[in-house]
Amino acid sequence: MDLGKNLSNPSMKMQHVPWHSRFDLLGITVLIFFASSVIALPSIEGSGRDLDYLGNLSRFAAQFFPPDWSILDRTLSGLLETIQIALVSTLLAIILSFIISLGASRNVAPIWLLWPTRMLLNLIRTIPSLLWALLAVVIVGSNSLAGVIALTFYSVGYLAKFFSETFESADLSSQKALKSLGAGPLQAFQYGLWPNARPIIWSHCLWMLEYNVRSASIIGYVGAGGIGLHLKLYAESADSWNKFSLVLLCILVIVTLLDFAGEKIRKSLRDKLDGVTS
Amino acid sequence: MSQILLDIKNLGFCLEDRWLFRNLEFSVPTCSFIAITGPSGVGKTTLLRSLNQQIRASEGNIHSSLSREYKTSMIFQDLQLSNGASTLTNALSGCLSRHSSLRTLFGFPRNEKQECLNWLAKFGLENKSHQWASTLSRGERQRLAICRTLLSSPTLLLADEPVASLDSSWAIKTLKIIKDTQGKIGGSVVCSLHDEEQVRQFADFVLHLNPDNPEAWTWEKISPTQA
Repeated sequence: MDLGKNLSNPSMKMQHVPWHSRFDLLGITVLIFFASSVIALPSIEGSGRDLDYLGNLSRFAAQFFPPDWSILDRTLSGLLETIQIALVSTLLAIILSFIISLGASRNVAPIWLLWPTRMLLNLIRTIPSLLWALLAVVIVGSNSLAGVIALTFYSVGYLAKFFSETFESADLSSQKALKSLGAGPLQAFQYGLWPNARPIIWSHCLWMLEYNVRSASIIGYVGAGGIGLHLKLYAESADSWNKFSLVLLCILVIVTLLDFAGEKIRKSLRDKLDGVTS
Repeated sequence: MSQILLDIKNLGFCLEDRWLFRNLEFSVPTCSFIAITGPSGVGKTTLLRSLNQQIRASEGNIHSSLSREYKTSMIFQDLQLSNGASTLTNALSGCLSRHSSLRTLFGFPRNEKQECLNWLAKFGLENKSHQWASTLSRGERQRLAICRTLLSSPTLLLADEPVASLDSSWAIKTLKIIKDTQGKIGGSVVCSLHDEEQVRQFADFVLHLNPDNPEAWTWEKISPTQA
């Protein structure tokens, strides 16, 4: 076929696309987002007073420097407690989420179980982590156990949803193949569906652990243990912003390290499942 | 005296107002190797899926004399392996029907693992037993899928182009393993093939589907050169 000849043929006109056909659901959503943001702009007001914003910022930021290294030991022990809260709560959440997610997966659970489970997960997700922490502090007192309880419940809302979506979107062909070879439903799930979903499930678990370290740093603000309590103390006492900045610096280092390690592990899992060998 | 495993009468399949095959009649005796031939799109996979009862034929019927303890297994064209599981686990999953769900919840018996390793060695995969299936080449994955299906010890083995991705040496070796294994247990093979040489070497019967006329299929008994 002579492509050049066809291209130069004047009888071949460009197909006319009506302007409104470009607006599919995504296009309309983006349009509504921008329109609402512009409409919301006038309602965002300052104090109305004539303040020196930049001057205020530079004076405040100057109090953060240099960080007060004399509290490093105390900060590290608080940080250790934060990591312990995140680890234990993530482990508990993984166990609970796995069980609950089976009830929330369309291709695993019967319909009578599906919707109640999904509603329960929606309810759990509605409550923010700080509120879970407040509830837990009221029940078990101001300690790290409250943090574990709070983050476990908070994480289950998200992890169980991620897990069930993974089970629904995983490659189901091997599960079907095993059933046709005589495997039972549980066997077909364990040896057919689970191996295909497992790398993505672990990837979600890692992400949740990273997220919980960040969350565990803040729930101490309401008395649920960890480094958050230090942040609260330094924020409320005068002239302690240099101590506050050291705590922030330590959290930043831990979160960055976790982010880096998580990304490496996730990439290796993705590559292995895609058949990329190093 | 050979028994009849499947008896196909007046079988026809119509796909979007086009008949792929019509009035198809043949029998699958025990210890036989039946090759289905014909160009791509003629209906070989559809026929195999009908025989596996995955899809219902538009007309005719398939009478099976296979009792409950005998079974039909299929080697799928798209292999349908568990990519995130090891080669050994994929092979072992062919043995799942031998056990209850509770027994396989924490793994397989040691002797079965050894049996699977021996099978993997037959297919040249012994050094890759702990590799994820996703990291194997297409040919290796095809051999693994065949190994898994053979381990399920089917009386009737349906194979959809089982050697399409294999080099000629592995293709011959694999077809020989399939034929020998089924022969030992008194089972049969119905297999779609493209290579005429492979058909001549292994098939006892050849069903040729005609792309121009759905009723002009042919059924021929031949003497395989590799008995």
